[in-house]
Amino acid sequence: MVELITLILFFFALYTIVSLSLNLEFGYGGIPNFGKALYVLTGAVVVGGILNRLLIWYFGIEGDFISASSIAAYKMTELISQNPLLGLGIFIFCVLLAIVAGAIVGALSILPSAKLKEDYLGVTLLAISEVVYLILFYNTEIVGGYYGVSTPDILAFIPGEYRMYAYTVLGLICAIIVYLFLERLLNSPYGRILRGHRENEDLIKAFGRDVMKLRVKTMAIGSAIAAIAGVIFVFYSASVVVNAFNRVEWTFYPFLIVLLGGKGNNRGVVLGAFIFVLLKMLIDFYKFDIKYLLHLPFEAVWLQYIIFGILALLILCYKPEGILKERPIFTPPIKSRINE
Amino acid sequence: MIDVVIGAIVWSNLLVLLALGLTMTYITTGVPNFAQASFAIIGSYIALTLLRLAELHPYLSLPVTFILGGILGLLTYYLALKPLIKRKASIEMLMIATLAWDLILFGITGAYSELLSSITKKTETLFVFTYLDFEFYGLPGRLIVSSLLVLLTILGLYLLLYKTKFGIALRASMENPSLAEAMGINVENTRLFSWFLSGALACMAGSVLPFLQEIVPQTGYFIIVSIFAASIVGGLYHILGALIGGYIIGISESLFTYVLSIFLGPGVLVYSKVISLLMMIVTILIHPKGITGTELWRKVERWLNL
Repeated sequence: MVELITLILFFFALYTIVSLSLNLEFGYGGIPNFGKALYVLTGAVVVGGILNRLLIWYFGIEGDFISASSIAAYKMTELISQNPLLGLGIFIFCVLLAIVAGAIVGALSILPSAKLKEDYLGVTLLAISEVVYLILFYNTEIVGGYYGVSTPDILAFIPGEYRMYAYTVLGLICAIIVYLFLERLLNSPYGRILRGHRENEDLIKAFGRDVMKLRVKTMAIGSAIAAIAGVIFVFYSASVVVNAFNRVEWTFYPFLIVLLGGKGNNRGVVLGAFIFVLLKMLIDFYKFDIKYLLHLPFEAVWLQYIIFGILALLILCYKPEGILKERPIFTPPIKSRINE
Repeated sequence: MIDVVIGAIVWSNLLVLLALGLTMTYITTGVPNFAQASFAIIGSYIALTLLRLAELHPYLSLPVTFILGGILGLLTYYLALKPLIKRKASIEMLMIATLAWDLILFGITGAYSELLSSITKKTETLFVFTYLDFEFYGLPGRLIVSSLLVLLTILGLYLLLYKTKFGIALRASMENPSLAEAMGINVENTRLFSWFLSGALACMAGSVLPFLQEIVPQTGYFIIVSIFAASIVGGLYHILGALIGGYIIGISESLFTYVLSIFLGPGVLVYSKVISLLMMIVTILIHPKGITGTELWRKVERWLNL
C-alpha cells in the first residue's frame, strides 16, 4: 500500500511538471502543442544519449553502445554509492543540460509553423514529435531504441528499500520549484501578453509585439521544463526505453490533465494531475484484478485508453473550463481600483 | 526494382484515399482529423474479421468495409465533434476531441484484436494478407484493386460534384459556408457527406493496406504523418490536393527509402517518414496552402475548365 502511494506521488510529480509546462504553452499561450512527448523524450536522450556516451568515453569502455552503457552505468553506480555528492552533481548536470537541449528543440520545432494558424501549428508539432520518436525507437544506435539502455542510479548511496521514496521526494521538490517559477513567470508582463496572445493575436501585433518571437520563447521555456521531467523519469527507472515516451502517455495525458484541472490555472492543473494520476495508477495497479473481475478477454490497458478518451470528450463537452476556472488578473493598479 | 515501383504506386493510391477524406473533412468542418489513420486500421480489422468469421476475401468485402467505414465516419462527427461545434468550441478543442477519439479507437482496436484472437484461437494482433493476393497478367492484385479504387472514387466524386445539383450545393458550401447557408443550402448535409466518405474511403484503404505491410494496432501511429504530409503538400483547401499530394508523398517516400536501402541496407523504412516530414515543413514554409493553393494551379484549373 505504501508502495502504491509512493508510486502515485512520484508520477504525480512528473505529470505535474509536464502538465504545468503544457499549461504555459496551451493554457496561457494558446499554442496547441501536440508534440509534448518529444520534449520529455529530449530529457531522456540527454541522459541516455549524452551522459552515457560521456561515461563510456571517461571509463574508456569498448564495444557496442548498448552493452558499453550497461558497463558504464554499473561502474558509475558503484562510484555514486561511495560518494553521494557525485550522484547529485550528475543529476544537476543532466537537468541543466536537459533545460538547454529542451529549449533548443522546443524553439526549433515551432519555427516552421510559428507564423501560422493553430491547426497548422498543432499538426506540424505532432508530426515532428512522431517522426523523431519513430527514429529513436527503430534506430538502436542513438539511445538504444526498443532494446533500451541502462543509466546510472544517481541515488545509489541510499539503501535499496528507501531509494523509491528518495526519488519521489526529488520529483516533488522539482515539481514545487517548477510551480513557483511558473507562478512567478506568468504573473508578469510576459504572462499577461501571453494571455492576450491567446485571446487575440492581432491585438498583440497592434501593440508592437512580435507574435513569432513570443511563441518561440514560450515553446523554449515550456520544452525546457518538460525535459526536466524526462531526466527524472529516466533516472528513476534506471534505463531509457523509448516506448515509455509515446504520444499517449506524454502528449495526450498532459492535455487531459490541463483540461480536467482548468486551463490557464496552475493550481487547477496540479489538482488535475493528482486526480488523473490517482485514477491511472489505480487502474495500472489493479489491472489483473480488473481483467478477472470483469471477465475481460483483453488487457486492461486498452480499457484505460478508452476510458481516458471518453473522459476527455466529456470534459470538452460539459466542462471545458475545468475544475478550477481561470482567474482574472489582479495587477496592483486593478486591485487599488477595486478597493476604492 | 519493379517491386519497388509497384509498392510505391499501391502506397500512393492508399495515401490518396486516406488524404482525400482528411482534406474533405478539413474543408467542411475546419478541423484536422487526427483519427484518420485509426480509421484505416479499423478498416483492416473489419476486413480481417470478415475473412476469419465469414471467410470473405478482403477484396470481396470492400463494399461492406465501405459502408461500415462510412458509419464510423458519421459516428466520429456525431459523437466527438458535433456536440462541441454546437457549443461553439474553438479549433484547439476540436483538435483535442479528434485526438481523444483517436485514443478511443486505438483502445477499441487493441481490445478487439485480443478478443478476436480468443475467438479464432490464433494471434490476430499482427497480420498480413499478402498470401491472399492474386496475380493478373503478372500484375499483383493490390496494384489493380487500389488503382481501381482511386479511379472509381475520382470518377464518382467528379460526377457527383460537377454533374448533379447536390454537387453544386456541396461545392458552394465548401467554398463559402455562410454564403451557401444564406442561399438556402443545408451545410450540415455537406458535413455528414464528407464524414461518411472520409470514413468509408479510409476503411477501404485500410483493408488493402495488409496486402502491403504488417498490421498491428499501433500501425496508425506509423502512417498518420504520411497522411498529413500528403494533404498539406497537395493543399488542405482543395479536394484535388489530396490526389496530387498523395502521389507526391507516396512515391517520394518509397523511392527515397529504396535509394537509401541500397547504400545502408534494409531497416531504413522508418526514414521514409523523414522525407514526408521535410516535404511538409518545406510546404509550410514556402506556401502553406500547398500546391493547389498556388497561382499556377489556378491557371491549370482554368485551363482544365473545372
